[in-house]
Amino acid sequence: MIKATEKEEYLEKLWNMKENNADDINQLTSAMNSDSNSSVIQEMLVENLIIINNDKVAFTDTGEEKARKIIRAHRLAERLIFDALGGDYESGACEFEHIVNSELVDSICILLGHPRECPHGRPIPEGDCCKSAVKTAECAVMPLTEMEPQQSSRVAYVNGYQKESRLNKIDDLQIRSGVMIRMEQKKPAIVIQCEGADIALDDNVASDIYVWKECTRYRSKFEDSDIKAPDCVPPKRFGFMRRARFGRKACNQGCNNG
Amino acid sequence: MAIELNSQRMENIPITKIGVIGLPNSGKTQVYNYLTGTYNVVANSLLTTIEYKKTLCEIDGHACEITDTPGLHELYVQSHEEASTREYILSENPDIIIMCMDSTRLKQSLNLAIDLLELGKPLIIALNALDETNRRGIWLDSKKLLHFLRVPVIETIALNGQGIDELKEALFKTRGIKFEFQYDQTIEDGITQIMDRLPANIQNQRKIATLVLMNDSYILDYLIRVNEISQTDIEEINTCVKKTQQNFPGNINRVINTRRSQWVDDIANEVIQKQNIRPYEVEKTIARLCRKPSTGIPILLLIVYIMYLAVVNLANVLASWMDETLWVPISNVINSFISPGFFNDFLIGDYGILSLGLANAFITVLPILSVFFIIYNTLEDIGYIPNLCILTKRLFEKVGLSGASVMPLVLGFGCKTMATLTTKSLTSKRERYIAIYLIAFAIPCAAQMGLNISILGRMGFQAFAITFFVLSIAEISAGMILNLLLKREEKGDFIQELPPIRLPVPKAVLVKTYYRLIWFLEEALPVFIYAAVAMFILDKTGLLMASKIFLSPVIEGWLGLPLEMVDALILCMARHEAAAGLIIKLIQQDMLNWVQCIVAVTITTMFIPCFANIVAMAKELGVFKTIIMTICINASAFFLAGCLNWALILIF
Repeated sequence: MIKATEKEEYLEKLWNMKENNADDINQLTSAMNSDSNSSVIQEMLVENLIIINNDKVAFTDTGEEKARKIIRAHRLAERLIFDALGGDYESGACEFEHIVNSELVDSICILLGHPRECPHGRPIPEGDCCKSAVKTAECAVMPLTEMEPQQSSRVAYVNGYQKESRLNKIDDLQIRSGVMIRMEQKKPAIVIQCEGADIALDDNVASDIYVWKECTRYRSKFEDSDIKAPDCVPPKRFGFMRRARFGRKACNQGCNNG
Repeated sequence: MAIELNSQRMENIPITKIGVIGLPNSGKTQVYNYLTGTYNVVANSLLTTIEYKKTLCEIDGHACEITDTPGLHELYVQSHEEASTREYILSENPDIIIMCMDSTRLKQSLNLAIDLLELGKPLIIALNALDETNRRGIWLDSKKLLHFLRVPVIETIALNGQGIDELKEALFKTRGIKFEFQYDQTIEDGITQIMDRLPANIQNQRKIATLVLMNDSYILDYLIRVNEISQTDIEEINTCVKKTQQNFPGNINRVINTRRSQWVDDIANEVIQKQNIRPYEVEKTIARLCRKPSTGIPILLLIVYIMYLAVVNLANVLASWMDETLWVPISNVINSFISPGFFNDFLIGDYGILSLGLANAFITVLPILSVFFIIYNTLEDIGYIPNLCILTKRLFEKVGLSGASVMPLVLGFGCKTMATLTTKSLTSKRERYIAIYLIAFAIPCAAQMGLNISILGRMGFQAFAITFFVLSIAEISAGMILNLLLKREEKGDFIQELPPIRLPVPKAVLVKTYYRLIWFLEEALPVFIYAAVAMFILDKTGLLMASKIFLSPVIEGWLGLPLEMVDALILCMARHEAAAGLIIKLIQQDMLNWVQCIVAVTITTMFIPCFANIVAMAKELGVFKTIIMTICINASAFFLAGCLNWALILIF
């Protein structure tokens, strides 16, 4: 009996290949580099997860659904580890994808505000929660458009898969995970301050930029820098985890400074 | 002989090429001006320099060719204008690079510095705008910066020229350093593979290979055009890129950018020191007030009113004083020496080279322009004009323009030619077309604006208000019509940096005004004189009269203007300012009434754009489209001015 995780690794690899428009069975087997190649593939065929036709491998519907769930879990996990914990996302996420069930994955997705892509920039498949755009109190991030004027916050992530040029432009201006930005005004166009520069944005660009709610505060006499943020726990120091464990009390004490 | 000798000597002397490079609005041109001793327009705005300029000069006993470049964010470029700056760096191979580092935007600047360091060229960093950073409660440790970057870092304040001497001193002592990022093995393999396929003789191979791997949209075009790489090589390179991207789990650009940002963050954290209490920033409040519609519109109207008052009460008085004290005595002297006849007409007649040429330029136009330019340049140095684009964005969006194209339009109020050239930064063709049309159509450039105010000021504020209301309506409806006519396209993104509001330095404003006036005289004076001669010939041969009779149904019937306005329209084709002088003269002779004056200004503003603007349009759109556009503009100018005439007659 082949372990379920091994099959899942195959499905994951195949999904990645599909994203690159590759479907050669040999590429799949050589990429996995495993001794039990043929038997795993055989079992997957028996379980009706994939079909092979002239060395071309394709998902069946059940296989695709399964792979989709795995990829979703993996990439959301990367997002979580990268944004919230600031850690090495690759190693953790690989274990993660085999453990979690889909409810847990959905709650992570809601918590992170339905991110569209992983830290590598690959798309995260949509779950049911994304389609109905569930917003609950637990959602820890919000799009830039929901910030109030004079508020400051830390950028969580920027969505922008397949919008390479926009993403690069945003990156040029140093709007990226971890930087503090301040909303200067919202009308007639959004103007934010980021790293010393005033930047005007369209609403549709701004709605792709997500900020941490926990860090949001009104402009106080304190400068919004990394050093002078006693009232805002940077996500890198497991602030997110602590809040999850002790509820929102610890965070609220610090955040409502303004 | 001397020239030959000189050129021979120049050939023997090795010329050091120096490039001034930096973020947009980081003070490159200011540094360039100090180094070369020349003057180019400096403004607290982006897109001030749009084409690079070169000057030969001597620094520290070396012959140098200094190049001023348009702003650049990094070598991975997004737009055509940035691509041209990069092309300068890659193909012209400057021997020394001066990087203007805007210390208020240290992280953005460091991001560009990585690219310049990677080129391995001698680099020197001018750490600019330090005074402003200090005012914001931020201190930069330039010694630490030097330690991390390993290239000379000179603290400068470009506004008053501080640190320029140190910059010159250090310039020839700087050496190139080896600076490379190591990426993941897959990416490194990809880079090596691409480098192998590049011709051996080109420089900066690693950088170019990285750009190719990052799918830069302009780099392959550059390789084909400049290095003449064959199509098969390009295809091989493309397969390399594809293979590497497939083999790499994730997005290569993201990984490279993350690596770079980490480096930037590490340095910035060490170098930047912030004080705990944030100083109250008046500039921010002013900027916000200018951009919010509720306060911004009153501020805009107030500024326009101040301009109006200044031009009417100062410039017009100055002009009439100069007319009395300078021109009247001169014409009296000429009259007493030369009896009325051909030569008298040639010199000081209606179309004399002295009266319509020199006096028109010096005595009528120059005083008005100098007063207006002082105000305009002050606004420019404050940084007000780019902030206008936020205020007016909603309005222009209704016209079918995305936020991105508002900037060129707003810049059109300064110089229409420059503004037309800045439309390069727009990605959508449709938007470019609309923007170029609207710039050429009813937007008055700074000189035209000053003269319009001066003309209308003689008729009262109401005339001024009506004219500008009509012009804005014309502009908006032109935009709406174009918006309906042209095929829809996806809108470009609007991500626009805004310059900070700064206190203008009076000296800088005056110097800029001085140079703008000198340039005006250099460019326009010959045109004024030639135009006067041409008019004189037309008049004497009777052609002028014939054309007046021919055009009389349009001019007198439709537009309701006196036939003398034909002169103004002809002069308009040469230079708009020359026409304004003639209209002022007509007003002085009581030949234009209130309604006629409004119609005359409206039509001269909308009528044929100036020659330089047409050339710029041809450059951006091609000759054929430019001709069509010019015809459309002129036709609609006549149509609208006629409608205005009849409407005004009906109402008043």
